[in-house]
Amino acid sequence: MEEKTRAVLVIGGGIAGIQAALDLGDMGIKVHLVERKPAIGGRMAQLDKTFPTNDCSICILAPKLADCFRQPNITLHTLSEVKNVTGQMGDFSVKLRKYARFVKENECTNCGECATKCPVKVPDEFDMELRKREAIYPYYLQGVPAVMTIDRENCLYLTRGVCRICEKFCTRKAIDFEQKDTDITLHVGAVIVATGFDPFDPSGIPQYGYKRYRNVIMSLEYERLICASGPTGGHLTRPSDKKPAETIAFIQCVGSRDIKNNRYCSSVCCMHATKEAMLAYEHNPKVKSYIFYIDLRAAGKGFQKYVARGEQEYNISYIRSRAAKITEDQKENPIVWYEEPQSSKTKKMTVDLAVLATSLMPRKDVEELAKVLGVELDEYNFFKTNPLSPLDTTRPGIFVCGCCREPTDIPESVAQASGASGRAAETVMR
Amino acid sequence: MNEVRVGVFVCHCGTNIGGFLDVPELAKYALNLPNVVFAKDNQYTCSEAGLTEIKNAIAEKKLNRVVVASCTPRTHEPLFMSTCKDAGLNPYLFQFVNIRDQCSWVHMQDRERATEKAKALIRMGVARAVLLEPLEETEVEVNPCALVIGGGITGMTCALSLANRGFEVKLIEKEDRLGGTLNSLYKLYPTNEEASRLVQEKTREVEKNPKIEVLASSEVKEVEGFVGNYNVTVRQGEKERLFKAGVIIVATGAETLKPVDMYGYDGKTVVTQLELERMLKGGRLNADTVVMIQCVGSRNEKRAYCSKVCCLTALKNAMLIKEANPDAQVFVLYRDMVTQGTKYEDYYGKARETGITFIKYSLERQPVLENGSVRVYDEPLGEELILPYDLVVLSTPMIAHNDSRDLAQKMKVPVDENGFFLEAHVKLRPVDFATDGIYMCGCAHWPANLSESISQAYGAASRASIPMSVGHVKTEPLIPVIDEDKCSGCGLCELTCPFKAIQVEETEKGRKAKVMAASCKGCGACGAGCPERAITMRHFTDEQLVAQVFALAEVTP
Amino acid sequence: MTLQEDFEPDILGFLCNWCSYASADLAGVSRMQYPPNVKIIRVMCSARVDPTIVLEAFIQGLDGVMVLGCHLGTCHYMTGNYYTERRMKTTKNVLKNVGLSPERLRVDWVSAAEGERFVSLVREFTEKVRKLGPLGKETDLELEQLKTRLTAAKEALAQQRIRWLVGRERELVEDKNVFGEKVSQEEFDQLMFQTIEKEFAKRRILLSMGEDALSVREIAQIVGASPREVLRNMVFLERAGLVSVVRIEGNSPKYQRTGGS
Repeated sequence: MEEKTRAVLVIGGGIAGIQAALDLGDMGIKVHLVERKPAIGGRMAQLDKTFPTNDCSICILAPKLADCFRQPNITLHTLSEVKNVTGQMGDFSVKLRKYARFVKENECTNCGECATKCPVKVPDEFDMELRKREAIYPYYLQGVPAVMTIDRENCLYLTRGVCRICEKFCTRKAIDFEQKDTDITLHVGAVIVATGFDPFDPSGIPQYGYKRYRNVIMSLEYERLICASGPTGGHLTRPSDKKPAETIAFIQCVGSRDIKNNRYCSSVCCMHATKEAMLAYEHNPKVKSYIFYIDLRAAGKGFQKYVARGEQEYNISYIRSRAAKITEDQKENPIVWYEEPQSSKTKKMTVDLAVLATSLMPRKDVEELAKVLGVELDEYNFFKTNPLSPLDTTRPGIFVCGCCREPTDIPESVAQASGASGRAAETVMR
Repeated sequence: MNEVRVGVFVCHCGTNIGGFLDVPELAKYALNLPNVVFAKDNQYTCSEAGLTEIKNAIAEKKLNRVVVASCTPRTHEPLFMSTCKDAGLNPYLFQFVNIRDQCSWVHMQDRERATEKAKALIRMGVARAVLLEPLEETEVEVNPCALVIGGGITGMTCALSLANRGFEVKLIEKEDRLGGTLNSLYKLYPTNEEASRLVQEKTREVEKNPKIEVLASSEVKEVEGFVGNYNVTVRQGEKERLFKAGVIIVATGAETLKPVDMYGYDGKTVVTQLELERMLKGGRLNADTVVMIQCVGSRNEKRAYCSKVCCLTALKNAMLIKEANPDAQVFVLYRDMVTQGTKYEDYYGKARETGITFIKYSLERQPVLENGSVRVYDEPLGEELILPYDLVVLSTPMIAHNDSRDLAQKMKVPVDENGFFLEAHVKLRPVDFATDGIYMCGCAHWPANLSESISQAYGAASRASIPMSVGHVKTEPLIPVIDEDKCSGCGLCELTCPFKAIQVEETEKGRKAKVMAASCKGCGACGAGCPERAITMRHFTDEQLVAQVFALAEVTP
Repeated sequence: MTLQEDFEPDILGFLCNWCSYASADLAGVSRMQYPPNVKIIRVMCSARVDPTIVLEAFIQGLDGVMVLGCHLGTCHYMTGNYYTERRMKTTKNVLKNVGLSPERLRVDWVSAAEGERFVSLVREFTEKVRKLGPLGKETDLELEQLKTRLTAAKEALAQQRIRWLVGRERELVEDKNVFGEKVSQEEFDQLMFQTIEKEFAKRRILLSMGEDALSVREIAQIVGASPREVLRNMVFLERAGLVSVVRIEGNSPKYQRTGGS
């Protein structure tokens, strides 16, 4: 068999993509792991802790990142995107665009000197825009590859031809403004899509007041706030006045189970809201949390017990009612309006902080990717699969796993990723 | 040539270390330490230039130990180890000293004390380096044959995936035919596919595949060995056969709880969902009013889990009843409707449109059967309803097979408090056992619907194929070494190890601990607990650790 | 004599590769500052730390020892830190027997993401040890006496019976013994406490004897225990073949170590 068709392309460097790449690499199959962000890690790197064990997300992810980096069969292409796929199962030709980082990966030691000199301050994407970063920055502290990146859209030199201070201060001469975007062609036998999700933008439900009221935030923002390595060092403070949040309302099904927005269920939100409430209590035993839900979905291994623990030991109350709207008072305290179960009376609850459990959605540009790959999407724009061949897309040789297939929790994403790697292995060994 | 010759390289790391510690001073200090024959500082030890310096020094100064004092071993140790290897020095003769992340970067205001601390750390590092020994990574061959226990859809999918990759598979099935749980089902959600058709299709595929040997009416009697080299005794009737397998996959599925003494269960007018499916399949359903009760025997104190599939099963069967008899009245009494994801939420929507009535009840006020009716308190409505019924269907949870603990013991693998097999890591290794070379998938792991079971089957097959694809497993070099004269065979080490990498066996000298290097992870938990001090942990020996303590205290041992 | 404020504690930390060592690195990457009193030894798992090595650190004069592992339930090697927890508990008890404050040994759990927590643990412990003073300040022992006691403690922790008990604690207390009985934590702690005391006493006696042949009274004086207590121990030690009567002077048998251990 020719060398070229034995490789596999994995698109997406989150936990699913990483697991698929590691399994394939460990099998002895060459993998090209493509990630559009400057570092791999995906959504899991943004989480503080993960259910149902409440172990630290980055702690269990970091060894996998290191393994990916060191596995000789895996070629990591960060800051890269798939632009074109032709051919068929067993023999695909992929055009990959590698965007310039403007930093030499072999020289940069991630010491951070350059960032201390950079005059530009822009919202940091990884931290959900809750803090600012410089134009030369690490995507996140534990990211792999552990190097800096220059944001071409905000760098003064790249946009206006001035500055270049970072270059002057880099003792390793690692800054290189001459770098160009390059296109390369990869030959692979199979493709695995693991491109993950984007959160629903709750501005789409104006009655919840997101962006209008400062103390109404969405779940990924909460995750960054409660995270020890996040913008507030793990202190859960209200965005408006930095005071600690002691009464918290978690609003479920924001943008899901909703005829106007997305009809489907986002699967993981009942669990992650419970987790988030638990973490708040762990940080501050004065915290009282209320979770407004429709149906409590805790069917995975250990999930039901987790929820019971939340109720019994972490001061969480579950209120079976869909929040109708959120307003705020003069102190910027969110007020949750809901129908009280049983009495059907309209009630109001004033809290310090409201957290919207936003639905997991397909990536904003998934249609473009689907066209490039030549695969079909379902009616919700997730990659279409058949219940009896759950990891196969509509194009032979292209497989899928994780949240780009359907909202999924981490254990299932990992199992699916291993499954997809097996399917891909079957293809390239044929 | 028994002389230990240590070379020390102290890194400036630009200004990261050099800006806060007196690096040239550290190199000078190192040179005066016992056994150090060469020491120098460099700007970036990890650069091409730095690595070349190390290699040259090893050759020219005949170094047999290398110490690098710089950033952190967690990022750079592999690089320096392979540099040593390139220069012909065993990579385990390398010692890393962290003077950046754990010194210069965290004591930026106190150059003097930081430098003194760095001296102590280097002193400790050199002391350990002197006692390091060369270690070899050996390999153990892996038998490219997989043993799959369980011939349901999950087991069959797994077997086929492996067979398609060219591996030999033995498929062991307890019953006399393949198909497992699906043999008892009528139609499958969400497509209403016929279960028997799927079973037939898969069974034919399995039977046609030359790589798969099916052993029906067979059970696992004994399991011995370690990854790559398992010996499994299978009993088929009176006969016993011994199989050698590289990997084992557990796909034994689950049972459904029989609701004995619950809701007046009688198998006639109060039945289980499985019994309902049998009636539907045979066209024998004569009921105009059907009341389904969810969460019977689950999500309570005794069984504190949600069985995931029962809501969908109820919806499926409810819709089939309505399909056969559009005038039938069907009530589903539920606590939470668990229909997650894209496809299943739609399924729920569809069910509601067919006119099925959903009534929410709570754990505190459960439905009661009396006088031919079901009395239930509708929570959202806040009212009690009386539903006369022709048939009551109880949705009971999946439970572990009653012999799952037995099988677990034979394989020396753990089960959780509900009897389901316990994976290596709930999040990151959901289909692996902690014991290398054994995997699981499907309902043996946890209640799963068909789609999930199939994904997991592919997942387990993929994981199992890794050691078989490579053909060998590297054995951990950081293994315990047993002094058999001291070992009393007490078995504490075996108890301590979660990977079954150290086990007590009969030898001519009596019962002694034996190490399965292929399964060992090098943690050292066994060594630090051995009552007879019979265990030496390679690369982290007591002597090496104590030497570091002595060095810190500046005591010559 | 050093003033309390001038005293800089000398502290050793055993950190596990996957969690605590990583948290220390994160503290570094984040440039968090803390006092330089703690010197770190890296182990793969906190369970590698044999209690005798902790004692060795104190014998060599270190003022404090930290053993940091992953949070319980998240050990990279699944169950290692449960063993660490129980072994270090016993080690603290032994320190009490010696007369030292058990607070000189700090066992705690940090995850790889908790750089800040690592720093506060270090800061807190450094201050705690600073207040406790140089090793032995809380006793009225001379340095040599303290070292002898610590050595006896180390040898006790090296004894088979104690190690066997410590290693089986988890199983006995959480599961069952071979007779299907479960032992309560209190019962176990009681048994452990008594066993350690006995073993420690035995070791102190043995150490005090050195090469000489001594009478019960002489030993009692060195060790600071009652002659009756010493005699009781001598009976055990003789039965175990560790001492023997080499001669009789007047009415007093003279015991000498036989060289076994």
